Amino acid sequence: MRIKLDKRWSKLLRELPESGMGYQRVDVRLVDGRELKNVVVLNAEELEAPNDFALTEIKDVSLHKP
Amino acid sequence: MLRLSDTLRRNLLTQPETGMGYQRVDATLRDNKTERGLVFNAELLVLDGEAQATRRSYPYNDPYSILLKSAPQSGVEIRALRVLPREGVAFRGLETKALEKKAGSAKDAATEKTKADEVFKRFSAFPNDHRVNADGSLSPGSYATTEEDAKNVKTGSDAVARYALPNSDPASYRFTIKPNKDTEIQYGTVEAANGQPGGGVEVIFTTGTQAKTVTGPDKIPDK
Repeated sequence: MRIKLDKRWSKLLRELPESGMGYQRVDVRLVDGRELKNVVVLNAEELEAPNDFALTEIKDVSLHKP
Repeated sequence: MLRLSDTLRRNLLTQPETGMGYQRVDATLRDNKTERGLVFNAELLVLDGEAQATRRSYPYNDPYSILLKSAPQSGVEIRALRVLPREGVAFRGLETKALEKKAGSAKDAATEKTKADEVFKRFSAFPNDHRVNADGSLSPGSYATTEEDAKNVKTGSDAVARYALPNSDPASYRFTIKPNKDTEIQYGTVEAANGQPGGGVEVIFTTGTQAKTVTGPDKIPDK
């Protein structure tokens, strides 16, 4: 499931280095306390989330550190 | 995906590996055409042109042993295999020591400087690639490949496989990058990941590129 990120996060990601050509691996923290670890964001704006994942408001996005 | 005959296997075992457990090869097909591919463990050939669905099945969906068992025998389909020299993979004609240094991914490589008139390519599934800024610069930390390596990419699907991209949508938009001399850069080889074989040359522009250095994209075929 692809989720288009809010412009705020997209802007932040554009300023951070890529993990590979055209994508970044990130950790996403949600306001309800859940976390998505090591997920892919394409073109700094399309988050690839698990299909059954109900996305609430994002609290923070940071680059995933392996 | 083909299981190689004993003759081809024995031949490959006398030749060096391209990376741990695999060899990058040119395969001469029954019709005498040549196609590039990867051979795993000197026994399982995956041609670059094979369907993405097939390529994705290795090694994540099916254990290697099952794939090997189910793969048809190469039989008369493959006349010969030639392992590409390491220079053919890293391309830049550098001395052996330098090539060994570049065998890993770019992020682990030492930072170098670009030479005058060096050209790079970047493949994207998006025509509005957000790493390419309005002034024609590339953002810091952006990936690309050498012009030489990009010659191996005829389709967007080729790019997905060669640069081990996680997005299976064809990366059919090709940008051209001509950075100024002495732009900071790291060179490396794409490791297998995301169900893709990798094997291409990757570079990172650690501090980005200057204004008016990126043009395009031009569109290449998806498949």
